[in-house]
Amino acid sequence: MTDPSQGLFDAIDSLLDAVDNNTLLPAPAERVRLREAAGLTEAAVSQALGVRTQSIQAWEAGRAEPKGQRLEAYRKLLDGLTHRFPAPADTPSATSAGEPQQPDAALVVAPVVPELVAPAFVAPQAAQAARTAWRVDGLAVQGEPGPCIRCGVVTPHRSTDGRPLHAGALCQPPAAPRAPQPTADTQPTAAPTPAPAPATLAPASPVPAPVPTRPQRRAKSAARAQAETHALITRAVHEELERAEGDTGAALKALIRRAIPDVMTLFEETRATARYQFTAYPALPDILKKPSKREPDQIWEARPAFHHPDFSLKLPGSVQVTALDANAAYLSALKCWLPIGKLEHITGADGVDPKRSGVHLITPAPWRHPHLPNPLGDRDTDGALWVTDATLRLLSRLAGPKYGLTSAPEIHESWTSGATENFLDALRKILTAAREKAIEEDDTVTTEYVKAMYSKFVSTMGESIHNRDVIRPDWMHIIHSQAYANLWGKAYKAHQAGLDVVAMMGTDELHVTGDWRQVFAEGRGVAQMKIKHGDAKASGEYTLGKVTR
Amino acid sequence: MAGTEAGRWRDLGAYRARGLPGWVALAEGLDRMVTGIESPVDTARGLAARLRYLTASDAGYEAMDRAGIHVRPRTLIAWLAEEQTPSKANLARLDAAYWQLRRRNTVADLKRRLNNRGRGTRIEIDPVDQSQVERRHQRDLQTRSINVRGGVWDRAVDAWIDGNTDELDAIWDEIISSGLGTDWDAYTHVSSVGWAA
Repeated sequence: MTDPSQGLFDAIDSLLDAVDNNTLLPAPAERVRLREAAGLTEAAVSQALGVRTQSIQAWEAGRAEPKGQRLEAYRKLLDGLTHRFPAPADTPSATSAGEPQQPDAALVVAPVVPELVAPAFVAPQAAQAARTAWRVDGLAVQGEPGPCIRCGVVTPHRSTDGRPLHAGALCQPPAAPRAPQPTADTQPTAAPTPAPAPATLAPASPVPAPVPTRPQRRAKSAARAQAETHALITRAVHEELERAEGDTGAALKALIRRAIPDVMTLFEETRATARYQFTAYPALPDILKKPSKREPDQIWEARPAFHHPDFSLKLPGSVQVTALDANAAYLSALKCWLPIGKLEHITGADGVDPKRSGVHLITPAPWRHPHLPNPLGDRDTDGALWVTDATLRLLSRLAGPKYGLTSAPEIHESWTSGATENFLDALRKILTAAREKAIEEDDTVTTEYVKAMYSKFVSTMGESIHNRDVIRPDWMHIIHSQAYANLWGKAYKAHQAGLDVVAMMGTDELHVTGDWRQVFAEGRGVAQMKIKHGDAKASGEYTLGKVTR
Repeated sequence: MAGTEAGRWRDLGAYRARGLPGWVALAEGLDRMVTGIESPVDTARGLAARLRYLTASDAGYEAMDRAGIHVRPRTLIAWLAEEQTPSKANLARLDAAYWQLRRRNTVADLKRRLNNRGRGTRIEIDPVDQSQVERRHQRDLQTRSINVRGGVWDRAVDAWIDGNTDELDAIWDEIISSGLGTDWDAYTHVSSVGWAA
């Protein structure tokens, strides 16, 4: 008895395929409603579909439409959600009629191309329209048991036109909303007869109970884990605010004091189901050991200190310059290739591998670009130096055909280990989301707390007496260099757009001429830039002179 | 102790594996936990801080005595008043005396931190470096992590402060043989041991 209905569904599938290009997704507002009705976050949906959160936001705002496979997947999701959470306008009529409250997929499609769909869907439409026949004493009419025209499961009850049909809402999956009021009092009398029906209901029903797919389940558990870790942040803030009796200054002080243990707890949380077992206390090569507490080790992080020689503050002139600030540079830099295990020594260029990370001894090619800062920062001496993997990746990219700005560095030896780019990504996402939310709500306490967490996490993950949970100076160097490499990327972007890069300093400072708003989005988000104000002469918007030669 | 030698990985390096004895890594880890004056002894600040520490108690004078500083009280007063700087040899002795006393004074604190109210401290053991070993001779070794508790730390710290290497070796043996299962002997030598306390 399932065969005909199976054929029916194949027909639906083929029809859906045929009309795919004509079928529109629900309106943007409806997409938001469906997602929110299901209690899904943008992050969960984006993860399930393998797109960025911004894409979901764009789709839901109607700024963009999904394409290709994503369109299929997104439509499937929305269809599924429409099933479970029909638009409020549809609900009353369905409920009053005592019909199943889930509009069939066929019904969603049918109105779009009625002439195509009509013949194939006579039966289901009839099933939708058919009503339970009630006797005058209020009990459902019964007859010879037969397959229900709505769900296919055997039932003795009849519809008004004499065909088998479950009474009331009995065909609905168990999780569905309650049966309408009139049938409720008939249930006890009707129940004894169709006793075997519930047992066969699940396997025989052509509309399977909604079992979430694996990506959906994963997205859900990831979202749950994310919500739990986010709760750790909000709870800490609440605790300290309560303890300080509302004194935000005191609460913030206390929060900053506990930032290191808290971020390590968060980190542990994100590692709960992680794939790799990392080494927290590896044996370190001598180049990573600090000779004393005051002296640095031998790694060159390529921190920029660039001032364009053609521009000078001392000269009179009217070149308009804006000092820009990259937001949360170290937070974004947590996305980088980090070595998981103990670093192993490899001589020659064999240590360089896209799936490995660490530190490398290189002799860089000379940098001759007249307007762009040296990606290696400002060195006093020439010759070989130890750089991190993040810097080497940037140099290799710039030596590639796409940029062609320099030639490839010569690699002498490496200390590397198998690496992953997603190692701190979960932590980065949680902190970014918390930061974004706090900024949105103008919650300076949480903003500062999150800032203390990520900055101290990076600065104390090496040899620090303030954080003994992990001793990975290599990670610290790589994250620092990644931040500098990211900043170099911004300088390059500005240069490509025709702006002059006047200065690039530290982790996040970029001074450019001209209309920077055409290149960078303004704001406090991690992908945006803001104007850097300060006491220095060269801050905010200022003018300087151009050297004439 | 001799009995515990039975299952241990002896001739390390026969196939070019590299590592150091576990007890050495353990002692180094304890060394790392001791903090003190950061300025070196050859700076005025570092010297003054060490002299102040060493002359603040009887134990300080005993430490200087043990380190071989036998000077007249007048000289010591001149050092303290910064009228005279110690000779190079005496500077080294002062430094040794300072760190020896400092270690001795932190013993109780180390035991308290490591015992962690009876919960003990989890240590991470990184196996020997086998990157130079031929594939067919390599052992399959993972980074292991075990919780050490129940009086082991007290004994380890005592052995460390007394410089009792045999006892430290025995303690290391006990840690790995009781916590690591059948391949414990592979961790007789390690590349590093670390913990947070």
